[in-house]
Amino acid sequence: MVSVGTIVWLSSELMFFAGLFAMYFTIRQVRPDLWSEHTPTLNVPFATANTIVLVISSVWCQLGVYKAEHGQAARTGSLLNVSGWGMREWYVLTYIFGSLFIAGQVYEYAQLVHDGITLSSDGYGSVFYLTTGFHGMHVTGGLIAFLLIIGRTFTTRHYSHAQATGAVVTSYYWHFVDVVWIALFATIYLLK
Amino acid sequence: MKTESFVFALVGVFGLVMGPIYGIATDWQEPVGPVGLLLAAGLGFMVAFYFWLTGKRIGYRPDDNLDGNIDEAAGEYGDFTPHSWWPLWLGLTSSIVFLGLAVGWWVFAIGAFFGVFALVGWVFERYKGQHAM
Repeated sequence: MVSVGTIVWLSSELMFFAGLFAMYFTIRQVRPDLWSEHTPTLNVPFATANTIVLVISSVWCQLGVYKAEHGQAARTGSLLNVSGWGMREWYVLTYIFGSLFIAGQVYEYAQLVHDGITLSSDGYGSVFYLTTGFHGMHVTGGLIAFLLIIGRTFTTRHYSHAQATGAVVTSYYWHFVDVVWIALFATIYLLK
Repeated sequence: MKTESFVFALVGVFGLVMGPIYGIATDWQEPVGPVGLLLAAGLGFMVAFYFWLTGKRIGYRPDDNLDGNIDEAAGEYGDFTPHSWWPLWLGLTSSIVFLGLAVGWWVFAIGAFFGVFALVGWVFERYKGQHAM
């Protein structure tokens, strides 16, 4: 039932991002000149690399879910023996890739602010930072959730069903945020 | 869960049909409608799909039977926290955090500090001590 609740909530999150997409397209419709002026400053190769990092983190997350469903929280062998990794190791790796994405976004923001695009500079700056920023906050929230979920695995001697459920629904959220980013990336960086 | 799945699929079909109609009617000059309607279709189909998947997993329920009786649905429903005070603290600290956005970052920092305790307290409420889940 936890998973059904998570999906229903994620569907409402979809509507939250629908609002952001609607805002983006509306401002672009009204002021196309801002887009032709600012989109050349976007660093598309860098953003593409960042996107790939986030997509790969989803793969690691799914491998962690696989381990969680088989009730394996901890690794069986050494840290170098990847096939023996448990849910914890995969989730830590997911966390590292997620934080790499956020770090990349911070770097990108710094570059754009340097180029004069800020939240209050004009319409383009506002929608750019609002859409990518709200997504970034979702990713950050996901990272916090990963910490809590990893923390929960240490509370019992054996990995419990409730802990596995928590790990699985956190992965739902992570995949959702990942898919939203792909849509945002396509809209902002490819469609321009 | 066929009925539940069907109801949400209806929401999806409505959005999927009305989105393009709205777009054509406004000559694609008004993006809010198509975006909102098509993503509302996403909302409907997403929930419908997951209900369908869950229905396949848990199988037949008395709720699916038109002639079913209420007592057939008796039994265990899962684990629920009987009561918890943590959501109250989490709500209060979240209010301070959002107040901080309007007033100043120092208010935000105070809210975030206490928010950490509220969040960890809630998440680990049933995951500590002898009876940890």
